[in-house]
Amino acid sequence: MKLNIDVLKKIISKIPRTHENEIGCDECFDELHTFAEMELEGKSPEKVMPLIREHLDNCGECRQEYQALLDAIKLLN
Amino acid sequence: MLNWFKRRGKSSKSYQTNEEWISAIKPPPEDAAILQLRTFLVKGLKASLHKYVDRDLNDFVEDIAQDSLLKILDKYDTFRGDSKFTTWAMKIAVREGYSELRKKKYEDISLEQYSSYDPDEKEAVEIEHDQAGPDQVTHESMMLNKVQAMMEEELTEKQKKVIQLLMIDQIPMTVVSEMMDSNRNAIYKLVHDARMKLKNRLEIEGINPEDIFNQM
Repeated sequence: MKLNIDVLKKIISKIPRTHENEIGCDECFDELHTFAEMELEGKSPEKVMPLIREHLDNCGECRQEYQALLDAIKLLN
Repeated sequence: MLNWFKRRGKSSKSYQTNEEWISAIKPPPEDAAILQLRTFLVKGLKASLHKYVDRDLNDFVEDIAQDSLLKILDKYDTFRGDSKFTTWAMKIAVREGYSELRKKKYEDISLEQYSSYDPDEKEAVEIEHDQAGPDQVTHESMMLNKVQAMMEEELTEKQKKVIQLLMIDQIPMTVVSEMMDSNRNAIYKLVHDARMKLKNRLEIEGINPEDIFNQM
């Protein structure tokens, strides 16, 4: 493994927010539809599901899919 | 004649409530429900994927909608009714679409071809800065080597390999998980455990990660 300064910064920046109770992509996916609907209804889902918000902040792929879900639902509803 | 009207009535039926959807797609699913759901998924997928697909968007989206429909029919009974059925279905289609898109980009490339991972490489790379003065470069080099040494000691070979693939080679997690016969959740957890190990080690060493970050 060879680190460079950008990668090091990326790793270190995540350390303060790292904790034992973080959830993974599967748990996030399980709740993503309710999280999206709450957000579109202006109901602040991060207050009831803070771990989902945290995972979306941490995981680029889940975040990208979440944004795509919001875009699709906004268009179709 | 009555049957004809019944059939005709059925085919133009529009499904709205979750109860209507569930009763229509449980086996044997109604053709009209499948058609309506497919149309819905295709529209949503097009809206969310068009920026990423350069050509053959229609074919790509049709394929994804078809694969997603099979998944939805397969696990409709896991839908808990805590959102609109169509939002839940779209979630499955969006994941299918983005996973496929990420894999497509890397198909025909093996892990070995793509990765620059070398288990014997223990040194951090040289830092090149146009603007930084020599003190800054020396400080950053020291910090890099220190964290690199900690990671070498604390992390497993698998964790190091995955971090290299994700963060240095910048391969998407979906692709890395496929290359390693794993799944995205397991890869995410593996990296999370690596972050936890590094966090604990920094604590033991009395190093505040925010201080390191601010000094870089």
